Amino acid sequence: MQRDLGSFPLSPAVRVKLVSAGFQTAEELLEVKPSELSKEIRISKEEALETLQIIRRDCLTNIPRYAGTSESGKKCTALELLEQEHTQGFIITFCSALDNILGGGIPLTKTTEICGAPGVGKTQLCMQLAVDVQIPECFGGVAGEAVFIDTEGSFMIDRVVDLATACIQHLHLITGTHMEEEHQKALEDFTLENILSHIYYFRCRDCTELLAQVYLLPDFLSEHSKVRLVIVDGIAFPFRHDLDDLSLRTRLLNGLAQQMISLANNHRLAVILTNQMTTKIDKNQASLIPALGESWGHAATIRIIFHWDQKQRTCVVCTYVSSKVILKGTLKIFLLIFVTVTVFEHSKNLKFYFLTTVFLRREPMLVHFFASCTLRPKYLLKHRYGNFFYMLL
Amino acid sequence: MAGKKLRRVGLSQDLCERLLRHRIVTCQDFLCLSPLELMKVTGLSYGGVHELLCVVSRACAPQMQTAFRMKTQRSADLSPAFLSTTLSALDEALHGGVACGSLTEITGPPGCGKTQFCIMMSVLATLPTNMGGLEGAVAYIDTESAFSAERLVEIAESRFPEYFNTEEKLLLTSSKVHLYRELTCDEVLQRIESLEEEIISKGVKLVIIDSVASVVRKEFDTQLQGNMKERSKFLAREAASLKYLAEEFSIPIPFLGDLSFMPVGTTATHILTSSSCLPVAQISLLNPKPTCPSLSWKSPTRCCIATSNSECPGLSFQNDHFSHFPYLV
Repeated sequence: MQRDLGSFPLSPAVRVKLVSAGFQTAEELLEVKPSELSKEIRISKEEALETLQIIRRDCLTNIPRYAGTSESGKKCTALELLEQEHTQGFIITFCSALDNILGGGIPLTKTTEICGAPGVGKTQLCMQLAVDVQIPECFGGVAGEAVFIDTEGSFMIDRVVDLATACIQHLHLITGTHMEEEHQKALEDFTLENILSHIYYFRCRDCTELLAQVYLLPDFLSEHSKVRLVIVDGIAFPFRHDLDDLSLRTRLLNGLAQQMISLANNHRLAVILTNQMTTKIDKNQASLIPALGESWGHAATIRIIFHWDQKQRTCVVCTYVSSKVILKGTLKIFLLIFVTVTVFEHSKNLKFYFLTTVFLRREPMLVHFFASCTLRPKYLLKHRYGNFFYMLL
Repeated sequence: MAGKKLRRVGLSQDLCERLLRHRIVTCQDFLCLSPLELMKVTGLSYGGVHELLCVVSRACAPQMQTAFRMKTQRSADLSPAFLSTTLSALDEALHGGVACGSLTEITGPPGCGKTQFCIMMSVLATLPTNMGGLEGAVAYIDTESAFSAERLVEIAESRFPEYFNTEEKLLLTSSKVHLYRELTCDEVLQRIESLEEEIISKGVKLVIIDSVASVVRKEFDTQLQGNMKERSKFLAREAASLKYLAEEFSIPIPFLGDLSFMPVGTTATHILTSSSCLPVAQISLLNPKPTCPSLSWKSPTRCCIATSNSECPGLSFQNDHFSHFPYLV
């Protein structure tokens, strides 16, 4: 293996000694025994063994990579992924319109960001999802547990008790009409005590505690393998007032986002992050945009932005949504009109307008493409929904 | 927790000295570095650095609690969850009163009765528990010098005449209200940060801040560019310290914001929105005739809106009880 020694995760002191002793590629090192190495470059035998193990491990995994499967690559075909995506569960939000837009609910193995003005209901939605993730599989749920990392202190235990009680009542109503055995049995375990015991709550007061907790999460998740949802309520709050250095903040946030994505993939869970809104002043016009800057906008896979529209909540979903959803009846026509109007507004070109309408009618998938071209997520998908939690007290 | 020195975490002495040379002293400095920088600084391999990160994280990470444990703790807790305001409609809207363990913001135009409301709350907090009070001391941070001890005595006498029938009881109540006059933002922040010791030593059960907006308005001119950021940072720090105090000691902390009117055509909107994402409950006192503030305190009814946060439409109702404040004409 002609790989250069500098590319291995060795400690810097050992690397310097190896280079000064004349070792340049991994191949040269593989032939040497630990005791010989330790004598030659004057390091302890344990360090020599560790070094050789690192190199051997990385080299051996390289060879099978060209042949087929490997552990570190996680290769699979798109067909396998399609099968996985069909069978993977969604965590329902109990708001049918929102669930429809998202294609069934909050998807697993993806990160979702929820933004909105203060008071619109982000924490309420998170608490609802922490209860919904525990719905048994025979009722269409995921039967998992939830981790709730709270940075703002807005978690209200009394409200969670209300939500859990309402969910249990709702499921009882369903079994009342269906009368199936497995439903009855599953419902026996779905008690208030069980629901509350499976929500793991961490209160992080500043960004250091948040970072520390996220470093420890993989170990926690390996111990509690049934966790299917990780909620970080208020990822913006510790980073907005604690850190002065913006570049440090961006770096930490990106690191956090990467860790979240890898958690979501490795442990097959959904990650939900809540963000605040900030005012952007653009040519004497102030508008509300999600906080934490432009680079954070790329961190989450799905972004849901809530607004107040007089007394109604409206939400905008900025993401790829599968075409199955867009093709649902009147929504399709509504959407096509919306998008074409927007594109026309931007281009002010009649020919372009006609071209796009022709295109869009024939190719629903292009709807997303044109919508994203407008760069105004407000127009991507706009859908009103009424009573936020229609099954609740 | 963030300021925990690495020495106490359990790292070896020479490792700590090595980190000290690179000016990494606390857990916060350690966790803000990337793994590559850590490898360079500590001289360990990637696996070693990862282990070290776990050790340091375990030292500053919070404890895990299940929601069930929180619920049982809550129900086993003897201290009350709310401080009732004795105004029945308001208590109903707030589901019990001013919540203990969280922040409540009280806003309203000048002259509608916010400071009077706070003085009344301080009387209520000193009452014994069988009368609905918290039986503790009150820390009153006053930035506008609007607190009047005579007014406190007057309210106590007229509100609870049967209880405060002797001179002694009135003196006892007034001795339990600790007044702190702070006139600048920095002083307010310092006072909040040193409040913890006062809370423990004097048995404080209620902290009132009157008002947050006035100091901020005085010092931060929103016309200037950089000031908005500074102001938000200051407010966020203040709120974080207050939240910590509220949660640690389970005390309610009402603080006064301010309502300013936008120019003609709109109804009252809150300007102090940078802090509006922070408090849990917000009570806005509005007058039915906002255009004539000089008549406001003479009008018999006040409209009160309790919202869970500034911009959402909340429950509103008329409340006649505010008129029971005897006003000096």
